[in-house]
Amino acid sequence: MKLLHTELLIARHFKNSVFKNQAIYIITFFIGALLLFAAFSGWDNYKSQNETSEKYQHESREDWLKNPDKNPHRMAHYGNFAFRKSTSLSVFEFGMEPFFGNAIFLEAHKQNTANFSEAGFSNSMLRFGEISIAMVLQVLLPLLIFFVGFNSVAYERENGTLKILLSQGISWKQLLFGKVLGIASVVMLLFIPTIIVLVLIWLTLQNFSISADETIKMLLFIGFHFIYLMFFCVAAVLISASSKTSKKALVSLIGIWLIFTIILPRTTQAIGAYLYEAPSKIQFNSDIEKDILKQGDSHNPNDVHYKAIKDSLLRAYKVDSVQKLPFNYSGFIMTEGEKISSNIYNKHLEELLKIYARQNSFSKAVSFFNPYIAMKNLSMGLSNTDYDSYIDFQKQAEKYRYGMAQKMNALQVKYISNKKPGPNDKPLTIGREHWADLEEFHYEPKGVWEVLKTEIVSVISILLWVILLFVLIRIAAKNLKAI
Amino acid sequence: MLVLLFKNFIRSKGTKIGLLFLLIIGFISLLIGRQFQEKQQNSITEAAVYQKEHIARNAAFHKDEIGLLLYYIKFSLVNNTLPINSLAIGQRDVNPSIQNVTIRGLEGQKYDSELNNPSNLLSGNIDFSFVLLYLFPLLIIAFSYNIISEEKESGTWKIVATQSPNTFLYILKLFYIRILSLTTLLTLILLAAVLFLQIPVDKSFLVFYGLSVLYILFWFAVCFFIVSLQKNSNFNAVILLTIWLFLIIILPAGINTYIINRYKVPEALELTLTQRNAYHEKWDMDKQETLDKFYNHYPQFKNYPLPDKEFSWLWYYAMQQMGDDESAVQSKELETKLQQRNRASELIAQFIPTLHTQIQLNEIAKSDLRNQLLFLKETTKFHEKLRLHFYPKIFDNAPVNEQKWEDFKVETFTDNSETSFMKAFLPLLLFNLLLIGFGWRNFNRKVII
Repeated sequence: MKLLHTELLIARHFKNSVFKNQAIYIITFFIGALLLFAAFSGWDNYKSQNETSEKYQHESREDWLKNPDKNPHRMAHYGNFAFRKSTSLSVFEFGMEPFFGNAIFLEAHKQNTANFSEAGFSNSMLRFGEISIAMVLQVLLPLLIFFVGFNSVAYERENGTLKILLSQGISWKQLLFGKVLGIASVVMLLFIPTIIVLVLIWLTLQNFSISADETIKMLLFIGFHFIYLMFFCVAAVLISASSKTSKKALVSLIGIWLIFTIILPRTTQAIGAYLYEAPSKIQFNSDIEKDILKQGDSHNPNDVHYKAIKDSLLRAYKVDSVQKLPFNYSGFIMTEGEKISSNIYNKHLEELLKIYARQNSFSKAVSFFNPYIAMKNLSMGLSNTDYDSYIDFQKQAEKYRYGMAQKMNALQVKYISNKKPGPNDKPLTIGREHWADLEEFHYEPKGVWEVLKTEIVSVISILLWVILLFVLIRIAAKNLKAI
Repeated sequence: MLVLLFKNFIRSKGTKIGLLFLLIIGFISLLIGRQFQEKQQNSITEAAVYQKEHIARNAAFHKDEIGLLLYYIKFSLVNNTLPINSLAIGQRDVNPSIQNVTIRGLEGQKYDSELNNPSNLLSGNIDFSFVLLYLFPLLIIAFSYNIISEEKESGTWKIVATQSPNTFLYILKLFYIRILSLTTLLTLILLAAVLFLQIPVDKSFLVFYGLSVLYILFWFAVCFFIVSLQKNSNFNAVILLTIWLFLIIILPAGINTYIINRYKVPEALELTLTQRNAYHEKWDMDKQETLDKFYNHYPQFKNYPLPDKEFSWLWYYAMQQMGDDESAVQSKELETKLQQRNRASELIAQFIPTLHTQIQLNEIAKSDLRNQLLFLKETTKFHEKLRLHFYPKIFDNAPVNEQKWEDFKVETFTDNSETSFMKAFLPLLLFNLLLIGFGWRNFNRKVII
């Protein structure tokens, strides 16, 4: 401890001087209140979203099982739902969640969009952002740090006390580290209680039974936010130390904050969206339809592709009509149709996702220059509210849908007679016990290692920023002048 | 004197960079608006072509059974996009501007979302309304936070005070120059928009313009008030930025969170589940029961009895209809909730100038939630019209080739709700007068030294 004695002294002195200003109490109180509001509404949101989706997921499963004996193809049309559940960290970081749909209807032959996003049901207000703990930590606290720290060194220079300090044998390095510690100690008064509340909420939400994966995510969430805030403390001191007057320091710091948190995130995303235009839904769907027509349309009685299948089947089984085949012919055709159409759909979806990925590439790249974007991406990733989670959910749902449709087709091929019932006969059915063969849809959010893999750019970027700041402090310590 | 002050203002490097930056980003916003407009136009043209091909192809495949044909074919309804929409894209990027529906159950199709990259939605568009709402105030603050305080700090204020007969008038002139340059910039961008985006100069546009000017004046009024407190530059900068932060981020976000939590919509999910079950369970129920319900809804179809066959299109569409009929309660509830959300946000917005401006701009551009709700209502009407047109034809099994399929063009919904000067201007006007009044009182009370 002896080592850091001077630094701690400077830090304590700085902290005391900050708290001499009445305004700091008001701001602290206000941010505290905002954090509480964020925690409360996040909790409320999370609980009701998960309760509803769990309730309806359960209900839709019961409905599925309750169906009486019927033709499996009708069950394929009855369909299933995929509801999205949130992870517990999404209480603190809403991310893109308001823009995702909450439910996808899964049926045979058709890939539906995820519907009922919060954004679709909201007035333009949503675009101003949302109050979440992550937003307070990532946007407001850095600004508070700048407000607290802008005159940390510049004021001493204006006052002439800087010369006295340096002439008393304190080195620049000690002074800078001391000031950083001072600001950090002020910010920690907000950060530490927040983290305690956060962990408590998080534990309560999971009834104190936490998985290793969730724990690592939580620890990383806290750790990276800590590093992120420290980054702004150092930046404030460095800018303050290199500015002639405190006014100049303030203006530069505010400028940096604006560029990092408001201007750059929007601009980079806008550049991406402008350069790589994504197709509209109508275009997307009609492209798919055209491709399906090219490959073969099972609804067209004269389609070449299906005629060829029919002929080869008749030849192989040495029969003269499909009714004489030993299995259900239309079930067989539908299996083929589902395979073709979902292959084509997936191909087009891949292309669309590639366009989206290109659109996002700009802001991803900018995270190297902007710790805010890096932090935002990382915290969205850890709470599974990022772009990749959204795509992941859609893909899992589509996989389930395909499995469901093909399972029903297989049941039809196997159990439904080939003889078409007459116009007045009862339709052919199979027993209801088969419905339970299809497992319930369950969405598994991505684990922490996968998140870190996709967010590797952000992690590297944050680490690089830390290194850069240390280097900058060293350089500054050598080159700064007292006047 | 005014000319000199103007020269002094415009000569500063920061001023030039600021104005240039805003001008460039203003033009970029127009480019983005134009791209959005083109994309919308393309979709509409495509929808028309697609519908024609789609109907013709299906009519050729299924020429014997009109019931089966109508199972497949989709009809499009377009939500008319005004040129001014490219200035305030609002909710039009989230919600689709084209609805494609078959005459089967409506509730399962009504809320189909547009394809979107959620990252784009999260960060939001850089349309003109963003530039106006977020960036203009920043420049206004940057230009005005140090009026008087800077001169006081550099010691030149005493010279001004002794040389100027009326220091208050001098301050007004300083503001006048800044207001003039920013409104000129705004006018320039909007003029360019009129030419570049072919926006008709009508009442809507004038309200749009007036609102933008009043919004800029609001921020000057805020600065005027803060300057009138005669604190130092650092204080002014911090306090003005805090006000900006409040009005642009914290309050709107807080209110949004409040409204979403206050009016939750679990009805949306319940609606789809109910609709699905109400239709599907009818397959396994007494057919006559379904038809009786159908006759209750449409007495005019009572003369079509249930055919003595296992499957009939009359029964099939009656089942589909039941999906909608039996989920009507949830559908109504969802609509009411969304109306409440809209009303609540408009009411609260009147007291928050930034929010009010955004919502009003979107209202003028017909890109707000209210427009979306009207469009959904119109979709229901459109769907009902199609149903009533085709039901008798299906029940009679009318020949497919006797229908004039080429007559089914894409239809367009035009939102005719009027924009009101009073509603748009009054809240901002009151705020401006209030702030200027208080600022004036402060200046009168305290001698400017």
